[in-house]
Amino acid sequence: MDITIKNEGEKTLVTLDGRLDTTNADQFQSDIQPLLDLQKPDIDIDCTNMTYTSSQGLRIFLSLQKSVLARGGKMVLHNMNPQVKEVFDITGFSNIIAIR
Amino acid sequence: MKHRFNPIKDKSSEIIEYLMSSPDMPSDEPTRFKLRLSIEEAVENVVRYAYEGGIGWLEVGTSLDRDSLVLTVELRDAGTPFNPLDRDDPDITLSAEEREIGGLGIFLCKQMMDTINYRYEDGNNILTMTKKINK
Repeated sequence: MDITIKNEGEKTLVTLDGRLDTTNADQFQSDIQPLLDLQKPDIDIDCTNMTYTSSQGLRIFLSLQKSVLARGGKMVLHNMNPQVKEVFDITGFSNIIAIR
Repeated sequence: MKHRFNPIKDKSSEIIEYLMSSPDMPSDEPTRFKLRLSIEEAVENVVRYAYEGGIGWLEVGTSLDRDSLVLTVELRDAGTPFNPLDRDDPDITLSAEEREIGGLGIFLCKQMMDTINYRYEDGNNILTMTKKINK
């Protein structure tokens, strides 16, 4: 899983590329640390090239969302592939994380 | 096909790839996605929690009924007796603030596979998952 994070004005743009699974979940957790340090998060995550996530990935998205909400911010996931979207739907994550 | 991995500590990825490379596996990506996810969750459960200190073995295998095209994935370990199906499903209607982190792995297996069964036999945990596939 490759991740790029860049700031554009008030917004933070994140791009994910690859599979998020048990082999790289710990790395992903530390890669997103900058997002947990934002004062007032306004995060857009481009999921076009995220091809897979397991529960290991979901737990990280949930903890990120909790942290964003606790700081009064927002986070939107964009262009999720249909299979990854199904994982978010089945687990109810589509109701608690904004997906466009 | 069937193989016993020993030791299994830090071997999740190797075990998952072994199963995904089985000739019994379907070729269509959406079904492979569901199988990979279920296999990852089930394998991780054993690798992380079955043995104290992570020292132990895990035997995994696949079989395909050529008539019904039902694929079976079986995992067997000699770790602490544990029925993952005993766990309550997560409440997927809760808000982000209320949701607990975790508890989604076996729930995903249940959703992605057609059947999932657990039995404890001769000192082994045996988890059997099936899914109808297209060949």
